[in-house]
Amino acid sequence: MIPREVVVVAEHLGGEVTDTTLEMLACAHDLARSVGWRVTCLILTDNPKPFQSLPLNADKVLVVKDAGLGTPNPAAYARVLPHVLKDLSPRLVILGNTSLGIDLAGPLSFTLGAPVVSGCVGVRAEGDRVIVTSRLCGGKLQAQIEPGDGLTIVLLMPGTGHRELGMRDEVPPFEIRSSPAPLESLPVRFLELVEPKMEDLDVRKIPVLVAAGRGIQSKDNLGDLEALAKELGGAVCATRPVVDQGWLPRSRQVGRSGMTVKPRLYLALGVSGAPEHTEGMKGSDLIIAVNRDPEAPIFDIAHYGATVDLLELVPILTEKLREAKGGA
Amino acid sequence: MKIAVILRQVPDVVEELVISEGGRSLAEDEVMHITNEGDEHALEEALILKARHAARVTAVAVGGDEARDSLATATAKGVDEAELVPVPPEHRGDNVRLASVLGPLLKPAGYDLILTGVWAADQLDAGLAGLLAMHLSAPYVGGVVSVSLNPDRTRGTVHKEFSGGRLGVMEISLPAVLGIQSAEQPPRYVPVSRVVQAKRALQVRERAEAAQVVEGIRPAKLVKPTSGAKAEMLPGDAKGVAEQIVRILRERGMA
Ligand SMILES: Cc1cc2nc3c(=O)[nH]c(=O)nc-3n(C[C@H](O)[C@H](O)[C@H](O)COP(=O)(O)OP(=O)(O)OC[C@H]3O[C@@H](n4cnc5c(N)ncnc54)[C@H](O)[C@@H]3O)c2cc1C
Repeated sequence: MIPREVVVVAEHLGGEVTDTTLEMLACAHDLARSVGWRVTCLILTDNPKPFQSLPLNADKVLVVKDAGLGTPNPAAYARVLPHVLKDLSPRLVILGNTSLGIDLAGPLSFTLGAPVVSGCVGVRAEGDRVIVTSRLCGGKLQAQIEPGDGLTIVLLMPGTGHRELGMRDEVPPFEIRSSPAPLESLPVRFLELVEPKMEDLDVRKIPVLVAAGRGIQSKDNLGDLEALAKELGGAVCATRPVVDQGWLPRSRQVGRSGMTVKPRLYLALGVSGAPEHTEGMKGSDLIIAVNRDPEAPIFDIAHYGATVDLLELVPILTEKLREAKGGA
Repeated sequence: MKIAVILRQVPDVVEELVISEGGRSLAEDEVMHITNEGDEHALEEALILKARHAARVTAVAVGGDEARDSLATATAKGVDEAELVPVPPEHRGDNVRLASVLGPLLKPAGYDLILTGVWAADQLDAGLAGLLAMHLSAPYVGGVVSVSLNPDRTRGTVHKEFSGGRLGVMEISLPAVLGIQSAEQPPRYVPVSRVVQAKRALQVRERAEAAQVVEGIRPAKLVKPTSGAKAEMLPGDAKGVAEQIVRILRERGMA
């Protein structure tokens, strides 16, 4: 019997595959090894060269090359992928639960008539069955899904799986094909990719971060957090809703679409711990979380937690730190 | 210029979530519904475009009776038309089904733009915006944080968010579907009195579900995640907690 395939759709930037891609490969490798399937890493690009001698952990690297694939334009990917996937007829396709993957999910699901499972934090196979574990409701619930026997597409949460296992010691067989579909005259054109502006400080370089979540409730309370951060020799960063409210600049946002930080201390105040946020801070040396909700998912990754009202705690904590310093 | 914005009712995840006895869905009578956060941003973006281009905005709410409140708020904020597509709770997180219901309802109205949140809190599948675009044979971009339209309004330029704070600048031809990540400005606030007023005068066009619906995936099991490593909880009141935090930081030479 021909072994079944798992296809990982790689993401890359400036000739380098992303960490999420390595995690997807690690996850695919784990699953494939358990049931004897094969892993194909699919790379869509205008320039295959940087990938040619990469020791990616796959049984094969298949590159689709076209001048129209020089940017991460989901519309271009969505035109190419159905052809390639029909040809490979895999059992499972792994995309990132990322900006690109999210945009590809609908078109691929519709065109290939295949279910998509998003927010995937685990995927395994039993015989020919694929069983997917997903996060939903801001990480407060986990679902187990068994999508059926046909092609299944999963969007793997960044941060799932060991990215070191996305590489191995040898370079897999490498094949280059041209695009099976013309990529001129797409209804969506990718004009440029703009790097973030560093409007103020770079939170990635600050050793102590006081994170403001939506639980801070109003912009007026930021002053107290600033005072606390100052006392700790750090700065205030934030979750997306706080930045979306315009209370802090975009450069302070931590998480999937913001910065990835690894400070010595991350003090999460009124942060629920949605996966899109924790992705960007779970590598911090020490995480202390304060959230009134004892079920908040942030307590799954924090080292210490407390369920008191942050607005009450912050001034007291600032004062106690000041005293501690005075007494030292 | 006609814009539709889809407003879904989703569980408020800040509340306690109770799993039903069957273990496959939430206990419906325990769920507090709110308008999906991304959809609130889609509404704001639609209102920004309305102000810039004198567009006519239709809010299409999906959900139960509580969706009428969402329509009243949208009306108070400035939408021109309110529609309601009643969808039973057990089907609301199924975007394959929602797209198959909404596609045939939206197509004949000839919208230039259809905006909805790129993500919904209760989502387990491919997401509504991309699926809807396929039903309408319209181009689609998701993760959008700003939209500007060319003077002839046949094309728009959008900013799409990528990881690490990068932005993709993309041009899309209209009509199109956009999955909004966040609006160019925070969703506007309207005083409760204006919402109450809007609710009194609210005219909702109720739309029936299409005869033919396609169903998507459903969870086999729903559980509360348990991770091996749980935080060590610091007991006591705010003062007690503050003292313990100072001690922890002191031990590490950080205070
Ligand atoms: C594609 C995509 C990308 C995203 N990228 C990011 C990203 O980069 N960064 C990011 O942060 N999010 C991102 N998000 C959003 C993410 O899913 C969550 O919505 C967000 O992280 C939630 O922020 P929060 O924890 O501040 O708010 P909430 O989830 O609303 O949590 C607020 C918490 O505060 C607690 N609270 C309230 N009042 C108090 C009080 N007085 N004292 C103590 N606790 C209190 C509540 O119990 C609650 O748990 C993204 C989402 C998507 C779909």
